[in-house]
Amino acid sequence: MKGLTAIGSRVLQTVFVLWAVVTILFLMFRLMPGNPMAAYIDPNFTLEQQEALMARFGLDRPLWEQYFIYLWNLLQGDLGESFFYREPVADRILSLLPNTLILTFSSLIIAYVFGILAGSYLAWKRGGLTEQIAIPLVLTTRAMPEFWLGMILLAIFSFWLGWFPAGGTRSPGAEFPTYFALYTSRDFLMHMTLPVLTLAIYSQGLPLLLMRSNMLDVMKEDFVTMARIKGLSSWTVVIRHAARNALLPVMTSFAISVGYQIQGNVVVETVFSWPGLGRELVRAVSIADYPLAQGAFLMIAVVVILMNLVADLLYALLDPRVNRE
Amino acid sequence: MRSLIHATALTALLSAAGSIATAEPIRTIDLLSRPQAAQPSEFQFVQIIAQEWRKLGLDVNVRVMPFEQMADIVWFNRDAWDTTAWQMVGRPERSDPDEIVFNLFHTTTAADGFNFIGYLNPEYDAIVEQQRVTLDPDARQALIYQAQEILAADQPNMMLVHPESTYAFDNTVWNADTVVEQGGIGIRNTWTFIGIEPLGDQRDIILNSSDNVQAINPLYISGGVDSWVTELIWDRLMRIGPDGLPQPWAATGHEWLDETNIRVTLRDDMMWHDGVPVTVEDVKFSFEVAGSGEAPMYGPFVSNIASIETGDDNTITFTLTNPSASFLTSSLAKINLIPQHVWGPVIEGLSTADENAESYQEEMPIGSGPYRFERWATNEEIVLSSNTDHFAAPKADRWILRIVPNVEAALGMLRSGEINFLADFPGDPGVLTEAATADGDLTVVSTVDIGFRYIAFNHRRPPFDDPAFRRALSAAVDRNLIVGAAFRGFAQPSYSVVSPALPFWHNSGVDSMETGIEIAQRMLEEAGYTIVDGVLNYPDGVTETLPVE
Repeated sequence: MKGLTAIGSRVLQTVFVLWAVVTILFLMFRLMPGNPMAAYIDPNFTLEQQEALMARFGLDRPLWEQYFIYLWNLLQGDLGESFFYREPVADRILSLLPNTLILTFSSLIIAYVFGILAGSYLAWKRGGLTEQIAIPLVLTTRAMPEFWLGMILLAIFSFWLGWFPAGGTRSPGAEFPTYFALYTSRDFLMHMTLPVLTLAIYSQGLPLLLMRSNMLDVMKEDFVTMARIKGLSSWTVVIRHAARNALLPVMTSFAISVGYQIQGNVVVETVFSWPGLGRELVRAVSIADYPLAQGAFLMIAVVVILMNLVADLLYALLDPRVNRE
Repeated sequence: MRSLIHATALTALLSAAGSIATAEPIRTIDLLSRPQAAQPSEFQFVQIIAQEWRKLGLDVNVRVMPFEQMADIVWFNRDAWDTTAWQMVGRPERSDPDEIVFNLFHTTTAADGFNFIGYLNPEYDAIVEQQRVTLDPDARQALIYQAQEILAADQPNMMLVHPESTYAFDNTVWNADTVVEQGGIGIRNTWTFIGIEPLGDQRDIILNSSDNVQAINPLYISGGVDSWVTELIWDRLMRIGPDGLPQPWAATGHEWLDETNIRVTLRDDMMWHDGVPVTVEDVKFSFEVAGSGEAPMYGPFVSNIASIETGDDNTITFTLTNPSASFLTSSLAKINLIPQHVWGPVIEGLSTADENAESYQEEMPIGSGPYRFERWATNEEIVLSSNTDHFAAPKADRWILRIVPNVEAALGMLRSGEINFLADFPGDPGVLTEAATADGDLTVVSTVDIGFRYIAFNHRRPPFDDPAFRRALSAAVDRNLIVGAAFRGFAQPSYSVVSPALPFWHNSGVDSMETGIEIAQRMLEEAGYTIVDGVLNYPDGVTETLPVE
């Protein structure tokens, strides 16, 4: 009963957050200076055409009316029609979202698995030469801007060594009967290597440093000393006892990173000509395509909110104390 | 006594001030520009121009803003701005000067059309109206020349440059002799994509675009890149040739029956991509749909057509409301031919819906053009294949357009062979030529554009209603400085809205202007403008009255 109430309030909270996001998005784009019709100015463009276009997209109505129409349509799952592409926003987003999610999750998983293991290892090897070399190295990767790192990887692995293609998700003209066939092909894997590597190198620093400092704290605690006294091997102590406890904040940071990663995606998708949502988002904002920009932001917000929920649940799984409190 | 002296001095001072007050100082002038990140050349030349104008005693305030905001002011708040940088892009149909000389300056387009500067000149209006209905090319040429002379004298805009379009291709993949340079457009054009010959095993044209494709729709004039695709999938009755003049395409020829009746004969060997023959009924349908309101952007190009008749001998006769000299270019070479059996039901369905044909994206676009549609991966690539049954079948096998937003990567791809035709390079052309020299296998071609860059003056606001003032401002800036500093040499100075890339229409008589600060200062002086304490003032008696916003 208590659990149900907790879930209920959590859902209510999520709904409220979503409503706030939707409202802020709506206002944000309409308060931006500029006219969305500017993109269509042409010597042959007449006033009647402008007015017809404004009316078609409902831009001639008062703001509050536009807002309620937008909310009502949203409740029915209708994200509107893109000014620019003249097609439903939902279709456009759904065709690009998988590419972005693949990039985000594969790079984050690589970054976190590596970061957690390397962070634990560095905590275990505290004070040695390894640490003296590794920590500055990690800090350097954190400081490198993604576009710069991406361009360097492109220059080396693509244009100099010729190992990997320079852009897109497939070779020019390559045909795949289904998305599944594309995503499981060698061609796709080759194309995703450099963008994933760029994002992973950039992202691994956070979990690594977080894991290391948590481990250092945890390893001072009594139960670790207890485990050592029991005569367990030091690796068992590190992984089974200390790491599991040190992992909690890292899991939260994973959830937050998913949202954070989107901004990295924008850059990496442009550098590697990756047809994802980030690139589309930037384009939509720059040409004042409200419906598409709103839809793309909303989709990203939904992913972030969902990931936070997942993080909360994971937390409970990893640390039973969370539920009891 | 002393106070009396003071009072007298004060009166003298006041009366002196009063005589000066008849010459009012010119207010701070705004000059709008887009941001450096989006438009580096524009940002640069605006700085140069502002600097020169300041030397004349003008207080110039450069306002930098994104295009959406700039257009909102310039286009939708026509009373609210002073001067702005602006650009016209080159398109094949602008090979006929009518669109530019008429729409940009005619009185009828001042209220809400493209004459956003508010230029009003009845003499000019009469000439550009006359050229519209003058079918004899030589007589029309004389009128277009005259229009250019009026513009040169009036300086309604300050013309700056015709930029060059710079593209490149791999000369180990393509036979350089088969690449066609279209006047005012460059080597990226339909003639190249049809005629270009592979030298070896790579038979696919793989080209880049930095922008996404919006739609592949024969009834929607969408983004610039989209037109590369539509021009290959759909045929037109005529096409603009490499010389900028219309030539027969799907029509074997045309014949003016009288001033308002023109008859064209359709080729009899054409098929739609689904195997159905192309008929004169399809042609009639295409022009009717363009004017139906379901394709609003095409409306202006057919609005002069009163009726269309089809004949038994594969002919179509167009009856025009008014004689139209640019009809071949702006209508026959503009309207995409679409199959009635495909679009008929679609248009019927749309006639009762809120949407029009612009929102309709065919799953598998069907045209009759030299390339067939194969696939479209959103924001990634478009694949077309050669239509071997076409009367002008391409020599290449496929045409693959890759979307590459990263300019540096596009250049790298050209060198590594991932693409073999650089069809879009928004970066520094100097970098491109350096890369070509380093590589050895690349051919770079720069072509002077039909389009142009200019500074627009708002004639609704003084002092820009005074032609003498506009002339002086224009004469203050050396165009060669702009070419060198803002375009790194990849542009030509411009003195006319009709580009030198259109040799038949361009009036080379207006191709020079004496520039320099002293010259500009003298011009202002002669027109009665004075400098008081370093600030430029209006001529005596002129008061600054701004329109109510």
